[in-house]
Amino acid sequence: MSRERSAAVATACALALWASAATAQVPTKGEHNADLSGVWTNQNLPGTAEWAIYTFSKDLPEMTAWGKARFDASKPQRGPRGVPVAETDDLVYKCYPPGTPRIYIHPFPMEIIQLPGRVLMIFEYDHLVRQIYTDGREHRTDLPTSWMGDSIGHWEGKTLVVESTNFNDKTWIDRIAVPHSEEMKLIERLYLNDKGQLQVDMRVEDPKALAKPWEFSRYYRKTDWTIEELMCEDNATYTPFEDALLEFDGEGEE
Amino acid sequence: MSRTIGLMFAAVLAAAPAFAHHGAGVFEPEKKVTVSGTVTDFQFVNPHVLVYLTVKGSDGKDVQWGGELTSPNRLARDERAVKWHKEIIKPGDSITMTGHPARNGAPMMDILKIVDAQGTVLIDDE
Repeated sequence: MSRERSAAVATACALALWASAATAQVPTKGEHNADLSGVWTNQNLPGTAEWAIYTFSKDLPEMTAWGKARFDASKPQRGPRGVPVAETDDLVYKCYPPGTPRIYIHPFPMEIIQLPGRVLMIFEYDHLVRQIYTDGREHRTDLPTSWMGDSIGHWEGKTLVVESTNFNDKTWIDRIAVPHSEEMKLIERLYLNDKGQLQVDMRVEDPKALAKPWEFSRYYRKTDWTIEELMCEDNATYTPFEDALLEFDGEGEE
Repeated sequence: MSRTIGLMFAAVLAAAPAFAHHGAGVFEPEKKVTVSGTVTDFQFVNPHVLVYLTVKGSDGKDVQWGGELTSPNRLARDERAVKWHKEIIKPGDSITMTGHPARNGAPMMDILKIVDAQGTVLIDDE
C-alpha cells in the first residue's frame, strides 16, 4: 500500500469514527434513550382505586353529541352503570381485544422489550402485543382499521413518545363505555418518573366522539415477575361457577 | 422501613377486589362468612381459582360450598406470604375458608382467607 493510499484509508477511518461518534450524540428515531424494559404492573395512585379499575379519570370526559349518544346506548359491565355479564355489550366479554388505551386498565402485568428500531409491549391479558416502531417510518395507510392501533414512536430525550392511529370503533376507551371513533388518535409519553415508576401520560384526540382531548396518566411498578399465560377463552372454565352463583333460587338448595 | 411500607403496599394491592366477571354486587362486601369442611374440588385455573368443599350444616345435612379467588398467575407470584401452586390444596383436605357471601344466599363466597388443617394461613386478604 502506497503512503498516499495509507493516508487516505486512515483519513477515511477517522472520518468514519467521527461520523459514528457524531451519530451517537445526536439521537435518531431508532435509538433508545432510556431503558424502560422490564415487567410492569399497575400501581394506581392513592385515592383512585374506586374508579381506576374501570376508567382513566374520576370524571367523565366531555363528549360530543355523537359520543354521548353512543355512551348512553352502551351497556358496560363495569362502573356506575354496570349490568350483569349476560346483558353487557362489552365485546371484551366475547374475548375481543380491549384495544388501546383500555388495555392499560386491565389488572395484569405488561412487559416492555426494546429492540433496535422497535419497542414491544407484551400484555399478559390475552397475550396482546403492541409493536411500536421507532425506526422513523410513517403510519401504515394500507391496512384495515385495527383493535390495538398502528403505533409509531420516537424518543424525546428519555421519553418515548408514541402516536397510535387506525383504530376500529368497536372498542371503548375505558371499561365504562366512553366511546371513540375511527378518528381516534392516541399520544402516549412513557418515561421513568422520579419515584422510579413507569409513567404513561396519555392524550386521546377524537373530535367525533370527544368535545376536547382527554388527558390522563397511568403508573406502573417494576416487578421481577414473568409474563404468564392468560387466555380469555379460558373464561369458559368459570362459567359453571358463575351460573351456579347467579342462578341460585334460594329454595331447596340444602 | 421502606421495605416494610413496600410490603404493606403490596398487601393492599393484593387485597384489591378481584376482577370478577359477574361484577360488583353479587357478593356482600360488608358481610363475612366462615365455613370449615372437606375439599371436593380445587381448580387452579384462569381466570379465577375455584375451591369447592363439603360443609356439615347445622341440621346435619351436607352443604356444597364454592369459593373463588383471583387468577393463578397472581397467586403464584412471589409477593405473597405463601406462594400458591397447583397442588397447594387437594381434594380430601380439611380447610376453613372465610369470605364475602353471595347476596342471594347461595352457598358461595368471594374468598378472603383460607387456613389448612395444620393451621397454615394459605391466603389472608381480610
